[in-house]
Amino acid sequence: MSLSVAERSYLFDSLSSPQALRPDGRLAHQLRPIEVYIDFLPSSNGSARIIASDGSECIISVKSKVVDHAVEKDLIQVDIDIAGERDDSLLVESISSLFNKIIDTIDSSKLQLTQKYSFKIFIDVLVLSSYSYPVSLISFGIYSALKSTYLPKLISSFDDLEVEELPTFHDYDLVKLDVSPPLVFVLAIIGDNIFFDPAFNESMVANNGLIISWSQGKVIAPVRTIALNDTYVKGFKPRLVEDAIELVNKYAQDIVKTLD
Amino acid sequence: MSAVITVVKKNGGFQNANMVLNKSIQGFVSSDEDEDNILDNDIDISSSESDSENGTSKDRLSFQIVTPGELITEDPIWMRGHGTYFLNEMTYSSVAGVVSRVNRLLSVIPLRGRYSPETGDHVIGRIVEVGNKRWKVDIGAKQYAVLMLGSVNLPGGILRRKSESDELQMRTFLKEGDLLNAEVQSLFQDGSASLHTRSLKYGKLRNGLFIQVPSSLIVRAKNHTHNLPGNITVVLGVNGYIWLRKTSQMDIAKDLPPGGSTGAGSTIKSNIGNQNGGLSANSTNVSITRLEEESSWQIYSDENDPDLSNSIRITITRYANVIKALAYCEIGITQERIVSAYEASMAYPNIGSLIEREVMESLGADVINGEKMRGNAV
Amino acid sequence: MSRLEIYSPEGLRLDGRRWNELRRFESSINTHPHASDGSSYLEQGNNKIITLVKGPKEPNTRSQLDPNKATLRVTTNITQFSKFERSKSSHKNERRVLEIQTSLVRTFEKAIMLHIYPRTMIDIEVHVLQQDGGIMGSLINGITLALVDAGIAMWEYISGVTVGLYDTTPLLDVNSLEENAMSSVTLGVVGKSEKLSLLLVEDKIPLDRLESVLAIGIAGAHRIRDLMDQELRKHAKKRVKHASSN
Repeated sequence: MSLSVAERSYLFDSLSSPQALRPDGRLAHQLRPIEVYIDFLPSSNGSARIIASDGSECIISVKSKVVDHAVEKDLIQVDIDIAGERDDSLLVESISSLFNKIIDTIDSSKLQLTQKYSFKIFIDVLVLSSYSYPVSLISFGIYSALKSTYLPKLISSFDDLEVEELPTFHDYDLVKLDVSPPLVFVLAIIGDNIFFDPAFNESMVANNGLIISWSQGKVIAPVRTIALNDTYVKGFKPRLVEDAIELVNKYAQDIVKTLD
Repeated sequence: MSAVITVVKKNGGFQNANMVLNKSIQGFVSSDEDEDNILDNDIDISSSESDSENGTSKDRLSFQIVTPGELITEDPIWMRGHGTYFLNEMTYSSVAGVVSRVNRLLSVIPLRGRYSPETGDHVIGRIVEVGNKRWKVDIGAKQYAVLMLGSVNLPGGILRRKSESDELQMRTFLKEGDLLNAEVQSLFQDGSASLHTRSLKYGKLRNGLFIQVPSSLIVRAKNHTHNLPGNITVVLGVNGYIWLRKTSQMDIAKDLPPGGSTGAGSTIKSNIGNQNGGLSANSTNVSITRLEEESSWQIYSDENDPDLSNSIRITITRYANVIKALAYCEIGITQERIVSAYEASMAYPNIGSLIEREVMESLGADVINGEKMRGNAV
Repeated sequence: MSRLEIYSPEGLRLDGRRWNELRRFESSINTHPHASDGSSYLEQGNNKIITLVKGPKEPNTRSQLDPNKATLRVTTNITQFSKFERSKSSHKNERRVLEIQTSLVRTFEKAIMLHIYPRTMIDIEVHVLQQDGGIMGSLINGITLALVDAGIAMWEYISGVTVGLYDTTPLLDVNSLEENAMSSVTLGVVGKSEKLSLLLVEDKIPLDRLESVLAIGIAGAHRIRDLMDQELRKHAKKRVKHASSN
């Protein structure tokens, strides 16, 4: 769906003016409300369903498998499935590569079981519907799912280099996975203004978009730009990136607190 | 106030989701005249409209709920309308909904469904395709509506003849993405709509913001364009598409009583200002025709007025948020309710807080309670 | 692993049901009002399914436009995490999934009054979040609920169930353990009638047992129809009450 010229110029003028006004009146750093439901897939180790106020929705499952970590290097794997998109579409591939990259920042030593074996975590993301660039929603979903993930409790010995045995687990005791997953924020640059979590109509007039990843109190790589529409995209002042990073550093902690 | 984000977090997936849903439904088991209208539009309850307006409780006809495949009647006397089918002399329901019996016509009105256009509906649509002598318009119905080149006013006045060059430059009038308001002129055999914009109140939309609500929340009424306090005009499309804009000269002219009151009249620019108080309906008509000629050259302009002030924009945003709040609470959207919710929203100086669930729910409750109080006072 | 006792001499199945008992059946409709015209969420045993119906709407391409009736499309997304063991590959474009989609289209082409929606398209999107046997029947039930929620005209409900045959005993509404251990038959039953809109027999089954299998299947499907009907009426009452209590 495209907007009319008059609509776009109304939105652009409102958003780019020095007294910036968002079409839903949000503050520049205010995100739209979300609903999170966790732990609804008993056959997964962790799960989350996250719904934004515009009806965007994604479902995340976390499953685990015991692997020999000498063979498997990547202990966390993210698979993205967006309803209505092919698996090899540009959107899916770029989001997928983004998340596989930032998920590496998770300290995977937490997944080590024994000297030989580790858990491998599979994070499956299903985006049921989305009306704006969904990475922020996905990252909140992954965060909530990982934070509610429980893994089986090891009962065999840690030192298994000498003995040829597979790890064995307690019948029902589980251990909470203790990791701090990274978050991803989408910011829109419109004129000289920066906005968190652009809605669909804001994206349509954004001069540029920034994807900023954040983990454990600070902004981390990668930081990327993204074209949110075809008509308004143009360059921006480098200073704005610094401002955006500063904004993320300032507010991300609050968001984590609310998510917890 | 400085909330960055609000998160509602619950354990378990969908059962909880339903509880939220139920809450919002049961939280406002109050007036909802539009839904009445949807559900029993054709049933003889002409008095209910004013009743629900006053918020007085009134016993309804007991609704007969049916589901697909259910036998409604064995009596062959009934004509079968929408939502029914006839098999072996018996009438069955094909949808889940409420049975409506009007004279001899038996139909089932589904609880949910896309907007279905009716002749005379005032709708807002978005151009999706420019074709041969016609535009395809998305009006949120099952199919795109058609706007024929012959059904629009072109620059140069009503009497202007359409030429071949007009066919070639259709995109200069209306192009993909453009929003317009129009009237449903007629329906095709397959139920899709043909639109026209042959009146000054219809045409391309400018100077404002678009929002969308479920079409079931908009009641069919005589008038769908309302001037709101704060110099804002709202166009409530029957299809649930809503346009909020700065009140234009046309909007003021429309509201002029036929007597040509001096108060409002004086705000109209000189081109229609030469009316004197003594003239009646005639004079307004004349001036509108003049206005039409004046404006006809710019009716297809893409430019917004240069003087859209920040305060106008703020007011538009506030109205947009209160309309969304009414929709969230599944309250029918009328001019009175928009104004009453707008006034209630003034308790929240930060417009951005109006998107939070609790705030929306409390606004909805305020509107309904306000109506009840007034109803009781009568 | 010791051989599991699928059906004990006392007449109990692995999950404690008797031969003629259904699994837990819970459904809700209108779960995704923003993203669709009609939606449902269904839990049948451990099957968890989201169904979204979009339309009737303008077809995306000309080839999907039929001047006489609506075009029906079913997309089935079986997620990689839907089974207990995560599957390594995506199920998209798998032969089995394509077959499921085709049979679902066939089943619902006859159930929906497509002729009253000419030149439009009805797009059905099913997401299987978790599966535990008898998935085809659950898909049918989820789609029926979402179609009714969307207000799309249908001749009748279609309800689906899978029946296994263990030795000579038919077992109603099998789960995945049972499904893997025996031959099974999936039925789609039209409303309260004994008409079948779908019959899938993918394994060998003795012909003289088919009748008893079908009989219990039809009875089970009727029960499911009633459960779906209850849910729809509950929802309808709520809406009507909401609309009229004034």
